[in-house]
Amino acid sequence: MTSTQDVTARITPPAIDIASIKAAGARFEDGDIARIVIDRPTDNVNAIDPPLIAALANAIDDARAARPRGLIIVSAKPDQFVAGADLSMLSAWPSAMEISQASRQIQRIFNDLAALPFPTVAAINGSALGGGYELALACDWRIAADAPSVRIGLPEISLGLLPAAGGTQRLPRLIGLPRALDQILNARRSNARRALRAGLVDEVVHPAALERAAMDRAGRREKRKVQGGTSLVDRAATWLTPLRAYALRTARAGVVKETKGHYPAPLKALEAITVGLQQGMDAGLEAEARLFGELATSEVSRNLIALFLLGLAQRRAAFEGLPRGAAPNDIAVVGAGLMGSGIAQAASIGGATVRLRDVDTGAVAKGLDTVRKLTTDASRKRVIERREAARVISRVTGTTDYSGFRRADLVIEAVFEDLAVKRNVIKELEDIVREDTVIATNTSALPIADIARNAMHPERIVGMHFFSPVHRMPLVEVVQPEKADPKALAMVVAEAQAMGKTAIVVRDTPGFYTTRVLGFMLAEAMLLLEEGARIEDVDKAMVAFGWPIGPLALTDEVGLVVARHVGETVAAARGIKSGPSAVQRLTDAGMQGKRGGRGFYRYDGKKRTPNADVYALIGMAPGAVWHDEETARRLTLLFVNEAARCLDEGVLRSAAEGDLGAVLGVGFPPFLGGPFRWADTEGVVMRDDLRRLAARFGERYTPSASLMQGRRFYA
Amino acid sequence: MTRMASIQKAVVVGGWRTPFVKAGTDYADLDVLDLAKVATAETLARTETAARDVDEVVYGNVSRPVAYHNIAREIVLALGLPTNIYAASVGMACASACVAITTAADHIAVGTATSALAGGAESLSNIPITYTPKLARALVRASQAKTLPQKAASFADVRLSDLAPVAPGIRETSTGLTMGQSAESMASINAIPREAQDQWALRSHENAARGWADGRLAQEVTPLYRNGKSVTKDGHIRGDTTIEKLGLLRPVFDRAHGTITAGNASPLTDGAATVLLMSEERARSEGRTGLVAIRSYAYAAVDPADQLLIAPAYAIPLALERAGLSLSDISLIEMHEAFAAQVLSTFHVLEKNGAGRIDEDIVNVMGGSIALGHPFGATGARLVITLANEMRRRGVQFGLASACAAGGNGAAIVLELLP
Repeated sequence: MTSTQDVTARITPPAIDIASIKAAGARFEDGDIARIVIDRPTDNVNAIDPPLIAALANAIDDARAARPRGLIIVSAKPDQFVAGADLSMLSAWPSAMEISQASRQIQRIFNDLAALPFPTVAAINGSALGGGYELALACDWRIAADAPSVRIGLPEISLGLLPAAGGTQRLPRLIGLPRALDQILNARRSNARRALRAGLVDEVVHPAALERAAMDRAGRREKRKVQGGTSLVDRAATWLTPLRAYALRTARAGVVKETKGHYPAPLKALEAITVGLQQGMDAGLEAEARLFGELATSEVSRNLIALFLLGLAQRRAAFEGLPRGAAPNDIAVVGAGLMGSGIAQAASIGGATVRLRDVDTGAVAKGLDTVRKLTTDASRKRVIERREAARVISRVTGTTDYSGFRRADLVIEAVFEDLAVKRNVIKELEDIVREDTVIATNTSALPIADIARNAMHPERIVGMHFFSPVHRMPLVEVVQPEKADPKALAMVVAEAQAMGKTAIVVRDTPGFYTTRVLGFMLAEAMLLLEEGARIEDVDKAMVAFGWPIGPLALTDEVGLVVARHVGETVAAARGIKSGPSAVQRLTDAGMQGKRGGRGFYRYDGKKRTPNADVYALIGMAPGAVWHDEETARRLTLLFVNEAARCLDEGVLRSAAEGDLGAVLGVGFPPFLGGPFRWADTEGVVMRDDLRRLAARFGERYTPSASLMQGRRFYA
Repeated sequence: MTRMASIQKAVVVGGWRTPFVKAGTDYADLDVLDLAKVATAETLARTETAARDVDEVVYGNVSRPVAYHNIAREIVLALGLPTNIYAASVGMACASACVAITTAADHIAVGTATSALAGGAESLSNIPITYTPKLARALVRASQAKTLPQKAASFADVRLSDLAPVAPGIRETSTGLTMGQSAESMASINAIPREAQDQWALRSHENAARGWADGRLAQEVTPLYRNGKSVTKDGHIRGDTTIEKLGLLRPVFDRAHGTITAGNASPLTDGAATVLLMSEERARSEGRTGLVAIRSYAYAAVDPADQLLIAPAYAIPLALERAGLSLSDISLIEMHEAFAAQVLSTFHVLEKNGAGRIDEDIVNVMGGSIALGHPFGATGARLVITLANEMRRRGVQFGLASACAAGGNGAAIVLELLP
């Protein structure tokens, strides 16, 4: 709701709130600047919802009538401008037609704002994403505060939507087609400096000077005529038909290659942009509204939004049943390999002082160099500010002994995945660290209780399963052994979050959650080979289905020895007995996967070709055609079934953590929303398919109890 | 809040330094702050001290970088120390880190801090090269000028010769003599022959080599990790040098009659050293052991035109007097070796003035600046670290550290091993 309680004495001369001048029955004097204050008094977020839209419409009408010299739009919320549309609104409107209608209404109001006969300026003091930035786009000028809370962009694509309040129309006209495509199709969210460089805002000023700067601009500048970017190239690509067609064609090809047809939103955004530039803004807006309705009611978008909301809620939900923990100040990491140094870097980014230990100076030097490279890369990509990057590097020191470990609140052990090695490290650590130091062990499959078996204080030893490469993978699977102290778990969850990761908490059973479900699927992919499938057919089918990488290629990446070990751990725990698997035969033949150059594929430099030797080793000649659809669905269903078992057995605390873990940790296709949401979507169809598969291929496909009962995982 | 003037005993909890290497070698592309960060972060880690437990940072540095003006503050911000603490850079040429340590000790004594990081760093690989005053003033004028013609006019009286860069001064401003020339005159005045100087230099290298061989020096040095490699040892020590080899070197400062060579002088060096100081009360309450107290200290100064580097011969008796001790109570001495001639001159003058005769066997038992190197800002902290560590190892009660400095300054610090 626009409100008037905001102080007007803050700046001199003050801008005058539209509502107050209307209430006083007064008129604007020459040179007066009007101000619209955005504030939803009952909510701490300025999200766009029907009351806010209505209030905004009134304020714009009043402004038009009052005829000030200029108008500024500010937010009354500290550190946020307008966050975007209230996502719950979308589920409130069931039909595409209703959603399109709502979109058209917002478009009309923003059109009114854009058509005001005096200069308008948005003062962006915090997050201005999606609808919030589209509101700013409807102004003539945009000024952003140089504050860390500022995030600007049109990230609707990441939720399976498109910018539908004029974003697909106004952004190309403002910054030119090529830059707008980059922004919209990549769902970019920029800080103030990057937004300035991209042309999303016209000026960046100190937060305390923001309103002053906005008033100055509203008072001194005229209405703006957008030209499609500042450079000749940008303008040509925006307005000259052949160049524009080329830019759009290239973008489309990129999108098709990237999404493999699973994500409709980028193509629809391209369509709206194309219509707008070819047939004019009105037609473009109409296309935008129509396509938005289609997308918002699509399964893909609903799934992506659900995942997004789960991720937000998980920050709190991760502490379910635990005391609220704080991230530690001092962290020590054992093992400066790729994993250990990645963890050290993440911990330093999270704000901790980090001590990184390995056995000799050579290994330490390499580990610290990895920290430096990861951090300078992140700074080059402007993920981390340059000076902060220097501090991140400075906070990590190396050692070949355990010096600096007594001050550590948390020690993360990331040595080789071997029970004896890890037990030895735990023993050494227990002699060194303080009584209250928490020890986290990074393992993908070794049971934490086994690692902690001989420990003096097993209650402070918990699992922290990182995914490789640590700096890119957004998940940490926190593993809770039975004896674990809840305070220790809470600290580890808090640290994972400080590292910028999503934390899920799972019980300490073989393979935990992610390794177990993935391991089952990988083993099944190998069984397909024994049934006569071609290596490349299996992987291609899975990638076409929406997995980021085929299961056999992934096995090569992980390394065959690790994969074999994980497979055996998981299979033994489930009491599954089988003959030697493909991976056993391959490792017995000395193959290691990608590292050794031979696995399911042969690796020659950058080239990868299927390894024909594999067929001989498993005693099977590859058959003719393999049905893609069937292959991928079968493997993915096995994954879902195993995930459901994890929930039934209490390995998982919630379906939400199962979905987040599968998508963020092991690449389950996000457009399906995660294994549990997908099961909800498919219902009996999935159960019946599993039954059929069980009859043909065995018990592992027998639907889990929950799937059998047709339980809905989400209300 | 502790009331001021509550006299507390300041103790050295521990200290570490980077390997010292010749300027222009392994650390050539490192800023002095990079070196300071390594020594300081390591001292915190090795003493198991959390960043939040540091009350202040006092740091010495001589050849100051132009990018920032207070290296101590840069250390605070880079290492995640509390942002609200006192952080000051101090300078007394080669005795800068002595000043850092005694300043921090004073703060602890009066109770304005209970823990402090003190030390110093130097990168003689990266000395700031400046313009001539004429050109510099013209540039400032031009930057203030409003119009292009005015900007152009700013350079009117700049000559071609003004375009040559200027390196930091190495001559005493009051005498026009370089450090080496001053040391040559000290050698003459005190009649220190070339052979005695070379002998002292040889001893410095042999002791340093022994200190590394038996692991004592390794205990005060942290590896410096850089670009996937590590520097683990001091770079200048010549364990295999001989009196003959040293004798072959030509005098540098007075080619005709001189005695001072590259062999019996300290080299230009990059490095950093940091100590952690605490009040005895706090150190004990944290259960820390092996405490070495700052028992007393003194600074003295002489006319640079006289014997430039002789001030320690005056500071030492003063510090001893303040400690209530005499030279015979001291069982271990760390003396900065700017030149062998300066060390031997100091012994000579001490004895001549009646302070007592120095037992050479207890001086620089793991070598001195001639062998280890001499990063100006860091040397004072290196002396205190080496001395405190060796006092603990030998279990001696009293030790003495001293350093001479450009301008005629000298420092002496008396340490006491606490039971």
